[in-house]
Amino acid sequence: MLSSARTAASLALRARPTASLVPFRAAAALSTSSRNDAASAVQPHAGYGLAKRERKEVPLPSQEGTKGLVQYALTTLDIMTNWARQGSLWPMTFGLACCAVEMMHLSTPRYDQDRLGIIFRASPRQSDVMIVAGTLTNKMAPALRQVYDQMPEPRWVISMGSCANGGGYYHYSYSVVRGCDRIVPVDVYVPGCPPTSEALMYGIFQLQRKMRNTKITRMWYRK
Amino acid sequence: MSTITRTLGNIRKVGLKDTGDTKAGVLIGTDKFGNKFFENKDELPLRTRWVDYAKHDYDAAHIEPLWHAWISYAVDTPPNQDPIKAASEKPWSPKEHVPNRTFTRGAFKTYNTTKPKIKAWEPFAAPR
Repeated sequence: MLSSARTAASLALRARPTASLVPFRAAAALSTSSRNDAASAVQPHAGYGLAKRERKEVPLPSQEGTKGLVQYALTTLDIMTNWARQGSLWPMTFGLACCAVEMMHLSTPRYDQDRLGIIFRASPRQSDVMIVAGTLTNKMAPALRQVYDQMPEPRWVISMGSCANGGGYYHYSYSVVRGCDRIVPVDVYVPGCPPTSEALMYGIFQLQRKMRNTKITRMWYRK
Repeated sequence: MSTITRTLGNIRKVGLKDTGDTKAGVLIGTDKFGNKFFENKDELPLRTRWVDYAKHDYDAAHIEPLWHAWISYAVDTPPNQDPIKAASEKPWSPKEHVPNRTFTRGAFKTYNTTKPKIKAWEPFAAPR
Protein backbone atom coordinates (compact mmCIF):
# COMPACT_ATOMS: atom_id res chain seq x y z
CA MET A 1 0.00 0.00 0.00
CA LEU A 2 2.76 2.35 1.00
CA SER A 3 4.93 1.51 -1.97
CA SER A 4 2.09 1.99 -4.41
CA ALA A 5 1.35 5.41 -2.89
CA ARG A 6 4.97 6.34 -3.26
CA THR A 7 4.89 5.25 -6.90
CA ALA A 8 1.85 7.37 -7.52
CA ALA A 9 3.52 10.34 -5.85
CA SER A 10 6.66 9.96 -7.89
CA LEU A 11 4.62 9.69 -11.06
CA ALA A 12 2.71 12.81 -10.13
CA LEU A 13 5.99 14.65 -9.68
CA ARG A 14 7.06 13.73 -13.18
CA ALA A 15 6.78 16.51 -15.68
CA ARG A 16 5.42 14.23 -18.36
CA PRO A 17 4.18 10.88 -17.04
CA THR A 18 4.78 8.25 -19.64
CA ALA A 19 1.98 5.80 -20.18
CA SER A 20 4.31 2.92 -20.92
CA LEU A 21 5.94 3.25 -17.51
CA VAL A 22 2.77 2.86 -15.51
CA PRO A 23 2.09 -0.88 -16.02
CA PHE A 24 5.73 -1.66 -15.26
CA ARG A 25 5.60 0.34 -12.05
CA ALA A 26 2.34 -1.35 -11.12
CA ALA A 27 3.92 -4.74 -11.62
CA ALA A 28 6.96 -3.69 -9.62
CA ALA A 29 4.75 -2.65 -6.70
CA LEU A 30 3.28 -6.14 -6.55
CA SER A 31 6.44 -8.19 -6.31
CA THR A 32 9.43 -7.37 -4.15
CA SER A 33 11.86 -9.52 -6.11
CA SER A 34 11.71 -7.22 -9.11
CA ARG A 35 13.72 -4.59 -7.22
CA ASN A 36 16.84 -6.70 -7.49
CA ASP A 37 16.25 -7.06 -11.18
CA ALA A 38 15.97 -3.32 -11.52
CA ALA A 39 19.20 -2.85 -9.59
CA SER A 40 21.07 -5.37 -11.70
CA ALA A 41 19.71 -3.75 -14.84
CA VAL A 42 21.88 -0.71 -14.13
CA GLN A 43 24.75 -0.86 -16.59
CA PRO A 44 28.16 -0.75 -14.93
CA HIS A 45 30.45 1.65 -16.72
CA ALA A 46 34.16 2.29 -16.95
CA GLY A 47 36.13 3.50 -13.95
CA TYR A 48 36.46 7.19 -14.73
CA GLY A 49 33.20 7.62 -16.50
CA LEU A 50 34.89 8.01 -19.87
CA ALA A 51 33.01 6.03 -22.42
CA LYS A 52 35.24 4.19 -24.87
CA ARG A 53 34.17 5.22 -28.30
CA GLU A 54 34.99 3.39 -31.46
CA ARG A 55 37.52 5.15 -33.66
CA LYS A 56 35.70 6.26 -36.77
CA GLU A 57 37.62 7.66 -39.70
CA VAL A 58 35.89 10.05 -42.03
CA PRO A 59 37.66 11.13 -45.21
CA LEU A 60 39.27 14.54 -45.08
CA PRO A 61 37.86 17.18 -47.41
CA SER A 62 41.02 16.90 -49.48
CA GLN A 63 40.68 13.14 -49.76
CA GLU A 64 37.20 12.83 -51.16
CA GLY A 65 36.80 13.34 -54.87
CA THR A 66 33.83 14.38 -56.94
CA LYS A 67 31.50 11.55 -57.82
CA GLY A 68 28.74 12.16 -60.30
CA LEU A 69 27.39 15.15 -62.12
CA VAL A 70 25.37 16.57 -59.22
CA GLN A 71 28.28 16.55 -56.87
CA TYR A 72 30.49 18.10 -59.51
CA ALA A 73 28.02 20.96 -59.95
CA LEU A 74 27.63 21.41 -56.20
CA THR A 75 31.40 21.39 -55.75
CA THR A 76 31.65 24.18 -58.30
CA LEU A 77 28.98 26.13 -56.44
CA ASP A 78 30.86 25.58 -53.20
CA ILE A 79 34.09 26.77 -54.76
CA MET A 80 32.40 29.95 -55.93
CA THR A 81 30.82 30.63 -52.54
CA ASN A 82 34.02 29.89 -50.70
CA TRP A 83 35.98 32.10 -53.07
CA ALA A 84 33.64 34.97 -52.30
CA ARG A 85 33.88 34.31 -48.58
CA GLN A 86 37.66 34.15 -48.58
CA GLY A 87 38.02 37.31 -50.60
CA SER A 88 36.27 39.60 -48.15
CA LEU A 89 36.99 38.50 -44.65
CA TRP A 90 35.80 41.23 -42.32
CA PRO A 91 37.11 40.69 -38.82
CA MET A 92 35.43 41.82 -35.67
CA THR A 93 38.23 43.40 -33.69
CA PHE A 94 38.24 41.95 -30.25
CA GLY A 95 41.56 43.31 -29.06
CA LEU A 96 41.99 42.66 -25.38
CA ALA A 97 45.71 42.99 -24.66
CA CYS A 98 49.13 43.24 -26.27
CA CYS A 99 48.15 40.78 -29.04
CA ALA A 100 45.90 43.53 -30.33
CA VAL A 101 48.99 45.59 -31.16
CA GLU A 102 50.21 42.82 -33.43
CA MET A 103 46.74 42.59 -34.89
CA MET A 104 46.93 46.31 -35.65
CA HIS A 105 50.29 45.79 -37.33
CA LEU A 106 48.57 43.45 -39.73
CA SER A 107 46.54 46.34 -41.04
CA THR A 108 49.52 48.67 -41.42
CA PRO A 109 51.32 49.00 -44.78
CA ARG A 110 54.00 46.41 -44.13
CA TYR A 111 51.60 43.47 -43.96
CA ASP A 112 48.68 45.32 -45.47
CA GLN A 113 45.65 43.17 -44.81
CA ASP A 114 43.56 45.31 -47.17
CA ARG A 115 45.16 43.58 -50.14
CA LEU A 116 43.59 40.35 -48.86
CA GLY A 117 40.19 42.00 -48.56
CA ILE A 118 40.38 42.10 -44.78
CA ILE A 119 38.85 45.24 -43.35
CA PHE A 120 38.35 45.68 -39.62
CA ARG A 121 34.76 46.30 -38.73
CA ALA A 122 33.76 47.82 -35.44
CA SER A 123 30.32 46.26 -35.65
CA PRO A 124 29.73 42.56 -35.03
CA ARG A 125 26.65 42.63 -37.24
CA GLN A 126 28.70 43.15 -40.38
CA SER A 127 31.71 40.97 -39.62
CA ASP A 128 32.53 37.39 -40.56
CA VAL A 129 35.41 36.48 -38.30
CA MET A 130 36.23 37.42 -34.76
CA ILE A 131 39.90 37.67 -33.83
CA VAL A 132 40.14 37.22 -30.08
CA ALA A 133 43.46 38.90 -29.35
CA GLY A 134 44.57 38.86 -25.77
CA THR A 135 43.67 37.71 -22.29
CA LEU A 136 40.02 36.95 -21.86
CA THR A 137 39.00 37.71 -18.29
CA ASN A 138 35.94 36.47 -16.50
CA LYS A 139 34.53 39.97 -16.60
CA MET A 140 34.92 40.22 -20.36
CA ALA A 141 33.62 36.73 -21.14
CA PRO A 142 29.88 37.60 -21.24
CA ALA A 143 30.63 40.53 -23.53
CA LEU A 144 32.65 38.25 -25.83
CA ARG A 145 29.83 35.77 -26.00
CA GLN A 146 27.30 38.51 -26.66
CA VAL A 147 29.38 39.95 -29.48
CA TYR A 148 29.78 36.47 -30.93
CA ASP A 149 26.05 35.91 -30.77
CA GLN A 150 25.46 39.17 -32.58
CA MET A 151 27.58 38.12 -35.54
CA PRO A 152 25.61 36.74 -38.49
CA GLU A 153 26.22 33.27 -39.91
CA PRO A 154 28.61 32.16 -41.33
CA ARG A 155 31.07 33.20 -38.67
CA TRP A 156 34.51 32.12 -37.65
CA VAL A 157 36.72 32.72 -34.66
CA ILE A 158 40.49 33.05 -34.59
CA SER A 159 42.01 32.69 -31.17
CA MET A 160 45.20 34.71 -31.15
CA GLY A 161 47.96 34.27 -28.61
CA SER A 162 48.58 32.02 -25.64
CA CYS A 163 46.14 33.82 -23.38
CA ALA A 164 43.22 33.39 -25.74
CA ASN A 165 44.26 29.84 -26.60
CA GLY A 166 44.45 28.49 -23.08
CA GLY A 167 44.97 31.16 -20.51
CA GLY A 168 48.68 31.36 -21.22
CA TYR A 169 50.64 33.25 -18.61
CA TYR A 170 47.49 33.91 -16.60
CA HIS A 171 46.27 30.32 -16.67
CA TYR A 172 46.30 30.03 -12.87
CA SER A 173 44.81 33.43 -12.23
CA TYR A 174 41.50 33.63 -10.43
CA SER A 175 39.98 36.02 -12.92
CA VAL A 176 41.01 34.72 -16.32
CA VAL A 177 39.14 32.36 -18.61
CA ARG A 178 41.41 29.44 -19.44
CA GLY A 179 41.03 29.74 -23.16
CA CYS A 180 38.39 31.55 -25.16
CA ASP A 181 37.24 28.20 -26.56
CA ARG A 182 35.36 27.81 -23.29
CA ILE A 183 33.16 30.68 -24.40
CA VAL A 184 33.02 30.49 -28.20
CA PRO A 185 33.87 27.77 -30.73
CA VAL A 186 37.30 28.47 -32.18
CA ASP A 187 38.36 27.66 -35.74
CA VAL A 188 42.02 28.60 -35.77
CA TYR A 189 44.45 28.85 -32.87
CA VAL A 190 47.46 31.09 -33.44
CA PRO A 191 50.20 30.26 -30.92
CA GLY A 192 52.67 32.77 -29.60
CA CYS A 193 53.04 35.35 -26.87
CA PRO A 194 52.20 37.54 -28.71
CA PRO A 195 52.20 35.97 -32.17
CA THR A 196 53.85 38.05 -34.83
CA SER A 197 51.72 39.72 -37.44
CA GLU A 198 53.04 37.17 -39.89
CA ALA A 199 51.81 34.38 -37.62
CA LEU A 200 48.36 35.94 -37.50
CA MET A 201 48.41 36.32 -41.26
CA TYR A 202 49.36 32.67 -41.56
CA GLY A 203 46.45 31.84 -39.26
CA ILE A 204 44.15 33.77 -41.55
CA PHE A 205 45.51 31.78 -44.49
CA GLN A 206 44.76 28.60 -42.58
CA LEU A 207 41.23 29.84 -42.00
CA GLN A 208 40.94 30.49 -45.71
CA ARG A 209 42.07 26.93 -46.33
CA LYS A 210 39.38 25.75 -43.95
CA MET A 211 36.79 27.83 -45.78
CA ARG A 212 37.99 26.40 -49.07
CA ASN A 213 37.26 22.92 -47.76
CA THR A 214 33.79 23.79 -46.45
CA LYS A 215 31.06 21.76 -48.08
CA ILE A 216 28.08 24.10 -48.08
CA THR A 217 25.72 22.92 -50.79
CA ARG A 218 27.13 19.41 -50.70
CA MET A 219 26.08 19.04 -47.07
CA TRP A 220 22.70 20.52 -47.93
CA TYR A 221 22.34 17.95 -50.73
CA ARG A 222 23.23 15.11 -48.39
CA LYS A 223 20.30 15.95 -46.12
CA MET B 1 48.18 45.22 -59.21
CA SER B 2 48.64 43.78 -62.57
CA THR B 3 47.37 45.29 -65.77
CA ILE B 4 46.20 43.43 -68.86
CA THR B 5 49.13 44.62 -70.96
CA ARG B 6 51.54 43.51 -68.26
CA THR B 7 49.83 40.14 -67.99
CA LEU B 8 49.93 39.64 -71.77
CA GLY B 9 53.56 40.72 -71.91
CA ASN B 10 54.50 38.29 -69.16
CA ILE B 11 52.58 35.49 -70.87
CA ARG B 12 54.51 36.27 -74.06
CA LYS B 13 57.76 36.04 -72.12
CA VAL B 14 57.26 32.85 -70.11
CA GLY B 15 54.48 31.07 -71.97
CA LEU B 16 51.31 29.65 -70.53
CA LYS B 17 52.89 27.02 -68.31
CA ASP B 18 54.20 29.16 -65.48
CA THR B 19 51.45 31.72 -65.18
CA GLY B 20 50.31 31.09 -61.68
CA ASP B 21 51.11 34.72 -61.12
CA THR B 22 51.36 37.34 -63.82
CA LYS B 23 55.07 37.69 -63.38
CA ALA B 24 58.07 36.79 -65.45
CA GLY B 25 61.38 35.98 -63.84
CA VAL B 26 64.43 33.79 -63.65
CA LEU B 27 64.00 30.35 -62.12
CA ILE B 28 66.42 30.42 -59.20
CA GLY B 29 65.83 26.93 -57.93
CA THR B 30 63.46 24.13 -57.04
CA ASP B 31 63.31 22.63 -53.59
CA LYS B 32 62.73 19.02 -52.58
CA PHE B 33 58.95 19.40 -52.66
CA GLY B 34 58.95 20.81 -56.19
CA ASN B 35 58.20 24.42 -55.29
CA LYS B 36 59.76 26.74 -57.85
CA PHE B 37 61.44 29.95 -56.77
CA PHE B 38 61.70 32.91 -59.11
CA GLU B 39 63.37 36.27 -59.08
CA ASN B 40 63.02 39.39 -61.16
CA LYS B 41 64.99 42.42 -60.04
CA ASP B 42 62.90 44.78 -62.18
CA GLU B 43 59.85 44.38 -59.98
CA LEU B 44 59.01 46.74 -57.16
CA PRO B 45 61.00 46.29 -53.94
CA LEU B 46 59.80 43.38 -51.77
CA ARG B 47 58.04 41.88 -54.79
CA THR B 48 61.16 40.67 -56.56
CA ARG B 49 61.16 37.10 -55.24
CA TRP B 50 58.25 34.73 -55.38
CA VAL B 51 57.36 31.06 -55.27
CA ASP B 52 55.25 28.85 -57.47
CA TYR B 53 53.91 26.13 -55.20
CA ALA B 54 53.91 22.53 -56.31
CA LYS B 55 50.63 21.70 -54.60
CA HIS B 56 47.36 23.33 -55.51
CA ASP B 57 46.27 23.46 -51.88
CA TYR B 58 49.34 25.45 -51.05
CA ASP B 59 50.54 26.65 -47.71
CA ALA B 60 53.42 28.89 -46.73
CA ALA B 61 54.78 26.13 -44.51
CA HIS B 62 55.59 24.07 -47.62
CA ILE B 63 58.67 26.24 -48.05
CA GLU B 64 61.82 24.97 -46.37
CA PRO B 65 63.46 27.21 -43.77
CA LEU B 66 66.42 28.38 -45.87
CA TRP B 67 64.27 29.03 -48.89
CA HIS B 68 61.94 30.90 -46.56
CA ALA B 69 64.90 33.03 -45.46
CA TRP B 70 65.71 33.76 -49.08
CA ILE B 71 62.17 34.57 -50.12
CA SER B 72 61.72 36.83 -47.08
CA TYR B 73 64.87 38.78 -48.04
CA ALA B 74 66.77 37.66 -44.95
CA VAL B 75 69.68 36.34 -47.05
CA ASP B 76 71.04 37.30 -50.44
CA THR B 77 72.10 33.96 -51.83
CA PRO B 78 69.54 31.22 -52.37
CA PRO B 79 70.30 27.94 -50.55
CA ASN B 80 71.19 26.05 -53.70
CA GLN B 81 73.96 28.54 -54.45
CA ASP B 82 75.12 29.08 -50.89
CA PRO B 83 78.54 27.54 -50.09
CA ILE B 84 78.07 28.15 -46.37
CA LYS B 85 74.83 26.19 -46.33
CA ALA B 86 76.52 22.99 -47.54
CA ALA B 87 79.25 23.38 -44.92
CA SER B 88 76.80 24.07 -42.13
CA GLU B 89 74.93 20.76 -42.33
CA LYS B 90 75.10 19.52 -38.76
CA PRO B 91 74.30 15.98 -37.63
CA TRP B 92 71.72 17.32 -35.19
CA SER B 93 69.96 19.42 -37.74
CA PRO B 94 66.61 18.03 -38.88
CA LYS B 95 66.95 15.80 -41.89
CA GLU B 96 63.89 17.00 -43.69
CA HIS B 97 61.41 19.81 -43.42
CA VAL B 98 58.10 18.99 -41.76
CA PRO B 99 55.24 21.04 -43.18
CA ASN B 100 52.21 22.11 -41.20
CA ARG B 101 50.04 19.08 -40.44
CA THR B 102 46.82 21.04 -39.99
CA PHE B 103 43.88 19.58 -41.94
CA THR B 104 45.68 16.27 -42.36
CA ARG B 105 45.67 13.02 -40.40
CA GLY B 106 48.76 14.18 -38.55
CA ALA B 107 47.04 17.26 -37.11
CA PHE B 108 47.71 18.03 -33.48
CA LYS B 109 45.15 16.84 -31.00
CA THR B 110 45.19 17.90 -27.41
CA TYR B 111 45.77 15.23 -24.84
CA ASN B 112 45.82 15.05 -21.09
CA THR B 113 48.73 13.83 -19.03
CA THR B 114 47.29 14.40 -15.58
CA LYS B 115 45.13 12.07 -13.56
CA PRO B 116 41.42 12.81 -13.79
CA LYS B 117 40.24 14.88 -10.86
CA ILE B 118 36.79 13.37 -10.88
CA LYS B 119 36.28 9.74 -10.08
CA ALA B 120 32.91 8.52 -11.20
CA TRP B 121 30.75 6.76 -8.67
CA GLU B 122 30.15 3.18 -9.58
CA PRO B 123 26.51 2.42 -8.88
CA PHE B 124 26.20 -0.77 -6.93
CA ALA B 125 23.13 -2.07 -5.20
CA ALA B 126 23.66 -4.72 -2.57
CA PRO B 127 21.33 -7.64 -3.04
CA ARG B 128 18.68 -7.85 -0.35
